[in-house]
Amino acid sequence: MLLGIDVGGTFTDAVVVKGNKVLAQAKTPTTHDDLLAGILAALDRVLAGTGVAGLRRVALSTTIVTNAVVENKLDKVGLFLLPGPGMDISPLVPERPYILTGYIDHRGRETAAPAEDEVAAACRELAGRDVFAVAGKFAVRNPAHEQTVAGWLRARTKPAHITLGAAVAGSLNFWRRANSAYYNAAVWRPFSRFARAVQAAVAERGISAPVYILKADGGTMPLAAAGERPVEAVFTGPAASVLGIMALEAPQGEAVSIDIGGTSTDIALWRDGAPLFAERGAAIGAYPTAVRAFWLHSIGIGGDSCVRRAGGRIIVGPERRGPAMAAGGPAPTVADAMIVAGAADFGDKAKAVEAMRLTAAGGETPQAAADAVLAAAADAIHTAITQMIEARAAEPVYRVEDIVRDRRPRPALLVGVGGAAAGLAPLVADRLGIAHRVPAGAMVANAVGAAVARPTVEVTLRADTAQGYYTVAELGVRAALSARRFALADAGELAARHLAERAAAAGIPVADVETVYAEEFNLVRGFSTIGKIITCRLQIKPGVFVGEGA
Amino acid sequence: MKPFGLVFFPAFDWAISPTHPEREERLLYTRDQIVEEGLLDMPGIREYKPRLAGLGDAERVHIGVPDIASLITEAHLVSAGGAITAAEAVVRGEVERAFALVRPPGHHAMRVVHGTRGFCTINIEAVMVEYLRRHHGLRRVAIVDTDVHHGDGTQDIFYHDPDTLFISFHQDGRTLYPGSGFTDEAGSPPALGTTLNLPLPPGTTDEGLHYVLDNLILPVLDDFKPDIVINSAGQDNHYSDPLANMAITAQGYASLAAKLKADVAVLEGGYSIEDALPYVNTGIILAMAGLDYSRVVEPDNAAAPRGLPDRTRAYLKDLVATQSSLWHSRERLGREAAARAGDWWARRRGIYYDDSGINEQQVERLRLCPRCRGYLTVASEAEGHHCGYKSAFAACLPRGVCRECRRDARDTVLTAKRQGKYGYYFIQDKDNDTLERV
Repeated sequence: MLLGIDVGGTFTDAVVVKGNKVLAQAKTPTTHDDLLAGILAALDRVLAGTGVAGLRRVALSTTIVTNAVVENKLDKVGLFLLPGPGMDISPLVPERPYILTGYIDHRGRETAAPAEDEVAAACRELAGRDVFAVAGKFAVRNPAHEQTVAGWLRARTKPAHITLGAAVAGSLNFWRRANSAYYNAAVWRPFSRFARAVQAAVAERGISAPVYILKADGGTMPLAAAGERPVEAVFTGPAASVLGIMALEAPQGEAVSIDIGGTSTDIALWRDGAPLFAERGAAIGAYPTAVRAFWLHSIGIGGDSCVRRAGGRIIVGPERRGPAMAAGGPAPTVADAMIVAGAADFGDKAKAVEAMRLTAAGGETPQAAADAVLAAAADAIHTAITQMIEARAAEPVYRVEDIVRDRRPRPALLVGVGGAAAGLAPLVADRLGIAHRVPAGAMVANAVGAAVARPTVEVTLRADTAQGYYTVAELGVRAALSARRFALADAGELAARHLAERAAAAGIPVADVETVYAEEFNLVRGFSTIGKIITCRLQIKPGVFVGEGA
Repeated sequence: MKPFGLVFFPAFDWAISPTHPEREERLLYTRDQIVEEGLLDMPGIREYKPRLAGLGDAERVHIGVPDIASLITEAHLVSAGGAITAAEAVVRGEVERAFALVRPPGHHAMRVVHGTRGFCTINIEAVMVEYLRRHHGLRRVAIVDTDVHHGDGTQDIFYHDPDTLFISFHQDGRTLYPGSGFTDEAGSPPALGTTLNLPLPPGTTDEGLHYVLDNLILPVLDDFKPDIVINSAGQDNHYSDPLANMAITAQGYASLAAKLKADVAVLEGGYSIEDALPYVNTGIILAMAGLDYSRVVEPDNAAAPRGLPDRTRAYLKDLVATQSSLWHSRERLGREAAARAGDWWARRRGIYYDDSGINEQQVERLRLCPRCRGYLTVASEAEGHHCGYKSAFAACLPRGVCRECRRDARDTVLTAKRQGKYGYYFIQDKDNDTLERV
């Protein structure tokens, strides 16, 4: 049995899953001031029927990190940047940074050394802070400066935590790594506190199964290992529902999924059974980060979206004034239209009809008005899907072959989950001219997703054979290359070994390893080839346990 | 304020040959730098995917022998398409300015194309300019070529077009490929003075370059009042470039971009791929986007030569005076040159294709028509180790060609075909947007 909990904006859902079956489910109100209380309430309720005996794993998708960011319950961070020559990002990061001397160039070579006295001076100013973030340009190609500065900080202060930029993400993008490192350090303390409380509460209930936490990329991490990278647990709600879709439906080929909740619809595009990633990372507020996440597009249309007429046209959302009129709400909603159209059955149907009568234009029946409302909502979702497909097709690519080959997504199936999926998914699919499915269990897809999400981890290996070294940024590794002839295939093997090492350290089983990215360039100087520059990124593929799992 | 547009296309799967300067690796370190800086995430910078240009877009400019399709690869259509994408984003008002940071380059490709020369097969700026004229109604265009090599292809294509101002500064042709770009190459009589060449002595520094920019290029641009300013943004004037001998820094290039305020920049050469391009490109992007570029400095910048020796200063002063005087007297000089030429202006040239190993002999004859700009005939014979012998005869009809010239041009081509001296016969017609194989 796998237990999954998803903390949503309104409700906390819990499910116990065995095989592909949902054995038990529970819904409790989310307790924003004390997230743990609501989580434990949902946990106790769902376990009331099943007991704890066969439990193999508890997985949490929680808003603890998102809330800390949104409500600005962040630690003060001492932020150190080593930007070298280039753009000045000081005004573009969330905290006033200390800019340090020292530069690593694009080949990972030191062109200027960092200065200890600058760190010493900053430490005097920063007295009282004990969480730090250090990010250097091109540190993913040589982490030495970040590590040196961290050493100086340890020698001068008693840091509770230091985040290094290269360790939070192995890909290029100093600005994003700097933001990621800052947020990672800023949420480290609240997350750690929460993690300890969860562990204690779970132990109290006699649960010996390990506790995992969901990440924005749809993978899970053991709670203990997540402590070093809490920022990856931001925005897990949409990821949970995407994983739920994977568990419930597993769309093959190209597909599009819509998760229609109370006030919003999250759209994802799928290829070969997996959702597409936001290539560079998620943004936290105005700050782009390197946190890996699914590529989701959210629009303000859901079951509780209020419906009104403006100039004869029906306007759906984005505001919510309350629940459906059928459920005692103050204004007509999409859900009322669904009840009248026969696509949903809850609450007081007479009030739903009244809602549609209020929405109807002169002479229109409530049934016609309901159809018009659903059509308007479906149109808006359809437009958003089309825009997403266009955006994907317009994404820059850097190879001739990728320009010549048309990469435009052509989804052949629409999968709908969430409360209002039954009413809207057929209409949206109709507009796309494709088939649709609304899987059983679609209402709790989010919690199912958390329950069955597999652990993941990734590594980025970059080898520069002309200089004879390679790096694995996430592990802070920079080591000599022993083999004289070293090519992409060798890099893949070496990366796989480091991936296994990282997985073992986090207590994660190695399965379903995939190459996310690979490139290989010949280095030519003076008309002869003197080496290769190879980059490859491997990950344990996000996915779901099939059958019993874990 | 509108964002800045960037079309970045490093063609990571394309090379002229594995160890050629135009190889996959060329923009690798530039990619590393601009991605690492986070430039592609800046709210004021919008990245565009290049479109694929059509063969028709290339044939609006070029006459390929036997045809352009057999001489190019898809990469050429992507880089030309990238230039068009950048320019269209500007013309449509989506962005304030744009930079097509693309390869392969194009400024050595001339009107008639037999192969690849100076790493170029089709002229991506010219293809872009003629696209803008055809589809967006632009007329007056200024092209400032800041590559270290003379932009002889661009010069050739617009040599008879008074609506296109072509200014090129470059290392003196006596010391560098392609060996042209002297001050006396100034355009044929109807377009005299709208080609301005500024050969610079080897070793010219930021100071020397900016002297020429401030005292000649910027005032001439102001005076010409173009609908659009294009920068052929080669980066091989950099002090570390292995194929040339100049001394410009990343700051020199970035401040040039800031002063020039080109609507569209298009990458040309630049082969110091590790030590210059990452910094020069970052500098140009920031400068064109209106962002602070003052911290973009090469790590080895201390090695860059500085200053302006008296001899160079004196030379540059003379150069600016000569070309200013040409610019201001261009109408009179054009009339005098036309009077000397009579009904026909002609020139005979040898053109060398270093990459393809082809020698071309070309005779151009321009009809100096009192009613229109006159048509041009080009007789071209090429010989090379791989291509053997090939030849072509073409007539080019400019925009707004008169009826008589249209008729005469066709008669001339038909007569040539009857005589049968050449392998291929073409009529390129700008008004009808056709390249006809006769």
